[in-house]
Amino acid sequence: MKRLIAIIEDEPAIRDNYAAAFAREGYAVRAYANRREAVAAFATRLPDLAVIDISLEDEPEGGFELCRQLRALSAELPIIFLTARDSELDAVSGLRLGADDFLTKDLSLAHLTARVNALFRRVDALRRPPEASQILRRGALTLDAQRMQIEWNGKVVLLSLTEFWIVHALAHHPGHVKNRQQLMDAANVVLDDNTITSHIKRLRRKFQALDPAFDAVQTVYGMGYRWTE
Amino acid sequence: MTLRIKLLLVSLLTLALPWGGCQYAREMETALRAAEEQSLTAVARTMADSLQGRADLLYRGNSNDTMPPGELDLEAVPLAGSPFLDGYADEWPAVAPARKYFNQGKDRLGVLAGVHDRMLYLLLDVRDNKVVFDAQDADPLDPATFGDRLWLGFQDSDGAERQLFIAASSPGPVQARYIETRELSQHVAVEEPRITGAWQLKTGGYRVELRVPLAMLGERLGVLVDDRDSLGAAPKSYGSLQGADLRARGRLIAASPALADYLAQIAQPGLRLVVTTPAGALLASAIAPPTTTLQPRRNFLQRLYRNVLAGAGEHRTITASAAIHESGGRNAIGQLQIVQNTDRWLTLRDRALITLLNFTLVASLIAVIAMFAFAAHLALRLSRLRRASESALTRAGLVTTFPETNSQDELGDVARSFATLLGRLDEYTGYLRTLAGKLAHEIRTPLTIVRSSLENMESESPPSAAARPYLDRAREGSERLNAILVAMSAASRVEEAIAHTERSRFDLAAVIASAVAAYRMAFLQRQFTIAVPEQPLTMEGAPDLIVQLLDKLIDNAVDFSPPGSTIAVRLTREPNVARLDVENTGPTLAPENRSKIFESLWQSRLDGDSRPHFGLGLYIVRLIAEFHDGHATAQNLPDDAGVRFTIYFSLQSRQ
Repeated sequence: MKRLIAIIEDEPAIRDNYAAAFAREGYAVRAYANRREAVAAFATRLPDLAVIDISLEDEPEGGFELCRQLRALSAELPIIFLTARDSELDAVSGLRLGADDFLTKDLSLAHLTARVNALFRRVDALRRPPEASQILRRGALTLDAQRMQIEWNGKVVLLSLTEFWIVHALAHHPGHVKNRQQLMDAANVVLDDNTITSHIKRLRRKFQALDPAFDAVQTVYGMGYRWTE
Repeated sequence: MTLRIKLLLVSLLTLALPWGGCQYAREMETALRAAEEQSLTAVARTMADSLQGRADLLYRGNSNDTMPPGELDLEAVPLAGSPFLDGYADEWPAVAPARKYFNQGKDRLGVLAGVHDRMLYLLLDVRDNKVVFDAQDADPLDPATFGDRLWLGFQDSDGAERQLFIAASSPGPVQARYIETRELSQHVAVEEPRITGAWQLKTGGYRVELRVPLAMLGERLGVLVDDRDSLGAAPKSYGSLQGADLRARGRLIAASPALADYLAQIAQPGLRLVVTTPAGALLASAIAPPTTTLQPRRNFLQRLYRNVLAGAGEHRTITASAAIHESGGRNAIGQLQIVQNTDRWLTLRDRALITLLNFTLVASLIAVIAMFAFAAHLALRLSRLRRASESALTRAGLVTTFPETNSQDELGDVARSFATLLGRLDEYTGYLRTLAGKLAHEIRTPLTIVRSSLENMESESPPSAAARPYLDRAREGSERLNAILVAMSAASRVEEAIAHTERSRFDLAAVIASAVAAYRMAFLQRQFTIAVPEQPLTMEGAPDLIVQLLDKLIDNAVDFSPPGSTIAVRLTREPNVARLDVENTGPTLAPENRSKIFESLWQSRLDGDSRPHFGLGLYIVRLIAEFHDGHATAQNLPDDAGVRFTIYFSLQSRQ
């Protein structure tokens, strides 16, 4: 049975293009123009993944509301925000609402489908027992590449997909400095310097929420970041 | 010239007030003088009228015949005191136009009449080559004993003709005598005790001084000389008496003593009354001293005012005159003149004037001070407005509440227009500032449609070899468009990122050193030199942003410097600030661009550089410098070999 992706996007041309791209990848796609339609459809069947635009027709923040409703229905459902907006504030709000990723529309379709695939892989992996070979341990850090899940001192750190890939890239070679370009490649995104910086800041804060003494992600000024143990 | 000085100068115009006061005082004085003269003339008229027809007073006569002035008339001059009757002319005025001369051959009689205290004095100078005295102890009526004799003829107060002779047997006192015919036609020489005098010899003649009570005298008076060359010889007679009957031919022009009394009676304080003949000969005068004497105070101020009023008050007296007419006739028998001394009311006027000037000067002074204070206040308000208008609009928008906008005056209007104008400017710059971001946002959606369509097209049906280049070009174009959009919205993203940055304390020197070490590896085509203080340079801020700032500066330096050249980074500590210099060789800045290069979307790109370039790098540098309470400047190197960017960071803690 094909996985079902729901696209909620008010711009028909973009909506149809994304739908076509996902269909080509072998997914079933349902597209909705507004929150009302989407909620009505989700009442009968939940999709396997939702791609949501933030501003929907007459609701400038409709995407956030929809995300909240979806999360209420399912805690595991992967949600990706896709938006023309690129403000830091929007990204923070979206991710705080439990979205798995926050992407801007200038991301290429190839990158987008790669992320969707990765999220599905994670969903699958979470349903299976962990495989030891995919698990990387660095001191207090336990990184499960399959399930895209990170634990710190045994507690799960809830990271977005981008953040997971950044930590993954850093922790794989402790002590090696990864510059911003390398991190972007690892995360399958095109971001500017400030966005990388804010991603790093955000994931540091998530670790520090569990362990105030967390200091494993270090800034090497002028070069990039590195993982220290 | 400042507003203050200008208004001060304008306020000096109030000094016209005292000047106007002076002019007014001068006018007043002229008017007062005219009025005074008029009233004085009226007074003179009245007084003259009261003397109308009083020839008895003016001339002691009661006749109204007004003979024309004759050559034989004697004018009596007023004397300052009674002459001592000694035959010498010491007490008499040396120059007296009223002196009359009567000639006889070589001989001559000079007559001078004077009046003092109800007495008529006569000074008779006789030129005589041979003075003959009467014989000693002889009968005065015996012709053989006659020497030189003088005859005095006059009408007495009753109109009767009288003749008296003065004879002397030696120099000394003389007595007038008259010849009385008694019974049997016996002639007797009787002494007239009221007429006395003195006879004295002088060079070439003799002099006789006589005193006659004015009360005796009527209208006419004459003097005759009987000149004899020897005792008893036939006399040569000459003078103003008729030779036959010795009647006086000329008049004595002298007022009755009662006239002086009368004048003294009617004179008012401060006035001098003078009665003259129509021809101008003085008859009588009276002076009434002012009842109050005002000692004029001449202090400094008064002298100053006097100088200001130069020309005023020069005429110290006012004169008015009126003719005294004969009774019922139009002919003048005399002239009354009133002279008023103006000292008294000049002093009064001076006092009023000083008061006026003092008041106006004080008023001027107050006006000047008030004007100056007002000007200072105005200048203060203006400079406050200027400062506000200069600093009101910053990058962060309209930050200042505009002063003076509540004022009701024109300055308030200006301030309100300024506030409105700046408000509009603020809206406009805000609009411009967000325009790029908004534009980018709006274009992003159609661009996404284009790009996703292209990608779908490629995936669905691989294009033919012929179509491939076009597709590639379309994709390439859309990528570039996308890059432009990212750059356009970068400024607002950076601003947002900076706004959310947390501050921490860090060692600026270590951060800079670390970053420069990285640039050495990143830019192999450039040499880097670095100089940082040995001591840690701790400041408060965001090291990430500092590195970003340095990135932009180094990017800029690399872009504009030739390969193989050296980029110098220098960090120095200055009081309260850290100074970061980045120098590179290469093209210099045009002076007009020095501040512009830190603006958003300003670009000066090199030819052949096709990368999207929005000049945001240095704008970000400025934003980051300002985030650290600092600022960025750019100047050319001293030898114009390149450019130096200098960034100042505040070292002072925020709290």
